Amino acid sequence: MNRWFAVSACGEVPHGQVAQSQLLGQELVLWRSAAGALNAWENRCPHRGVRLTLGACVGEELRCQYHAWRFASGSGQCTHIPSHPHQKPAGTIRPQVFPVFEDGTFAWVNLTREAVSPQRPAAGIDTALRSIFARAPVAAVRQVLLRGYADQSVGLVDEFTLDATEYALRFMLQPVTEGQTIIHARLQGEVTAAKRMTVLRHHNVLMSAVRDHAEAAA
Amino acid sequence: MNTSPPVEPVLWDDWHPVGEMVQLQRTAVLHTMLLGVPLTLTLAADGSVTATGAPHGSPVPLPHVQIRYGLVWLCLGTPAREIVDFPETRESDRVVCTGGSVAVAVSGLRAVENFLDLGHLAFVHAGYLGEEPHTEICAYKVEPLADGGILATQCRVYQPRPSPMESQGFDVDYIYAVRRPYIVVLFKANPVEKERMDMIALLAQPVTEERCVAHVLMAYPPHNVDVASLRWFQQLIFGQDRPILENQLPKRLPLDPRAEISVRADSSSAHYRRWLSAVGVRYGAVPVAAA
Amino acid sequence: MITLYDYELSGNCYKVRLALNILKVPFTARPMDFHPAREHKSDWFLKLNPLGQLPVIDDDGLVLREAQAILVYLASRYDSSGHWYPRHDAAALGRISQWLGFAQELTATAGAARLHDTLFLDVDIGKCRAGAHTLLRILDEHLWFAEQAGEKWLCGADRPSIADLACFPYVMLSEEGGISRLPYPAIRRWGDRVKRLPGFIPMPGIFPAAAA
Repeated sequence: MNRWFAVSACGEVPHGQVAQSQLLGQELVLWRSAAGALNAWENRCPHRGVRLTLGACVGEELRCQYHAWRFASGSGQCTHIPSHPHQKPAGTIRPQVFPVFEDGTFAWVNLTREAVSPQRPAAGIDTALRSIFARAPVAAVRQVLLRGYADQSVGLVDEFTLDATEYALRFMLQPVTEGQTIIHARLQGEVTAAKRMTVLRHHNVLMSAVRDHAEAAA
Repeated sequence: MNTSPPVEPVLWDDWHPVGEMVQLQRTAVLHTMLLGVPLTLTLAADGSVTATGAPHGSPVPLPHVQIRYGLVWLCLGTPAREIVDFPETRESDRVVCTGGSVAVAVSGLRAVENFLDLGHLAFVHAGYLGEEPHTEICAYKVEPLADGGILATQCRVYQPRPSPMESQGFDVDYIYAVRRPYIVVLFKANPVEKERMDMIALLAQPVTEERCVAHVLMAYPPHNVDVASLRWFQQLIFGQDRPILENQLPKRLPLDPRAEISVRADSSSAHYRRWLSAVGVRYGAVPVAAA
Repeated sequence: MITLYDYELSGNCYKVRLALNILKVPFTARPMDFHPAREHKSDWFLKLNPLGQLPVIDDDGLVLREAQAILVYLASRYDSSGHWYPRHDAAALGRISQWLGFAQELTATAGAARLHDTLFLDVDIGKCRAGAHTLLRILDEHLWFAEQAGEKWLCGADRPSIADLACFPYVMLSEEGGISRLPYPAIRRWGDRVKRLPGFIPMPGIFPAAAA
């Protein structure tokens, strides 16, 4: 399906880091090169099938933990096979690469290889809230959110906006597997430094409650 | 009742290790599983072992049980041949011991293939069985064994710490013999006795298609060797392999050469997969798809 | 010279090996035949530690058991910088002890799950895994908000303490007990920071960080 899903706040994957993710059952390795490029690949080395999330980012390459094969940021092409260090690896050796784009606050992935990054209007200064992992299907989470998030209700879909005092709150749901969902959320509009920690903690409590209700219902 | 075996005869009618005697001597009873069949092993007062299990429905005593090399061996069908022979264990001056059995959530065939693999030694076992920049794997020889299996020779790797006795690095010659689908033996050059080799065997118990118990049997020439140090080294090395094995996808070993990418250093792996297909192994594998 | 009664695959022994390396304290390891021979339950060892558990250290006649207790001793005695266990800061010591207790809970849940899955320990595996997830969720939330406040370590702003060393091993080995860390991104970042500490050493199951 040609759909974009938020998978991580951008700040959750700093330069040089390798993170595990999963979308609609597809395991992903999310990693950011030293220069800052974010990659989303299938979490499986094409050599002997070892999860690439065990590996490490080395500059602009991801190195598999098993035989230290290296794959280039962007294309995913294998650049180095240490057991045959003087040979250039065949161009076809690479894990499956998925389209990814960042909107300034969140990273989005599409599982359709030909997908083109959407033109999104500049999001302005957004604050990413702490993402919450729920052991519940996305439908259960959506239902709890719609029933009332601090007693405010809104219109449908997996992205929706709540108006609350000085800022708008937008949710993005990531279906991890059939029974697991990650709830991402952003505040649109500036939050002052003085209020920042209070606001983050406030929504962490509310979103954790959403998780608890969704898990109880599941 | 004449039921065809649920698993191919090459495995069903063969002996497999199912328990380590040191463990059974302590607990007297061991619950385990072989080829999907739950088993109970019981140590009798006279030191013998009996086994019960339910290969065809209700639990029955299983007749084919033996103790050899400090391990309990079982055959669920009718044994087509003897338990694998390790003549080195009969050399009177060798230190012979089991290594400490470890459960792994992957097919035992993946564990055997990992044991054969040379390309990972400088990375997964850095500082012990290999080290950068000595990562290049030179061509080696793989040939069939007369009574089944494969033999890999002329493998040579620089190892900074090849065994618990060594604190110096050197180039080590390796010989591998895959004796059964789930059993592989490694012979490593011994630094003191040039004519003898250290023997380390990995005997994978196929618990299910995606789980195994890695049993280890070692027989070392006697210089500077004690059981505790051998077990320490073996468990350190296997402990480094285990998270790699448990993170391989799929968990079963793909036998189709197009399923995973191989390079020349993977020659023994390619031969091993072809041989498994040739002898009809399916359990623990993803067989080559029918055309 | 300190003697450490050690088992390579024990997360608790690794806590001590890690501290000894980071603090640059010389020691000799005495490998114990933990598996399969269970040497830690033998008569001679029970005289050293009647609980029959590893690790134990012998520092010139001072014999100590309990990984967390050993960390307290090593940091107090051998850390000239004073940040691993700041003896004169009551609030810091209180916080550190809180997390040393948490580390014990991790051993009893994530550590036990790992022993069940690898070395046949007989435990209620469902309960151990559920218990581990409860702890990891708490740890992740604590670390996430610490990061937001500019803090990188469990108990304070810019220097790690023995609390970080005590909690690190069984968290990072959780997958060996069937406990995924996919839901815990702040733990992942903290784990990377621990791996980059000067003097860090790996253990089987914990990979070192790539060279920076």
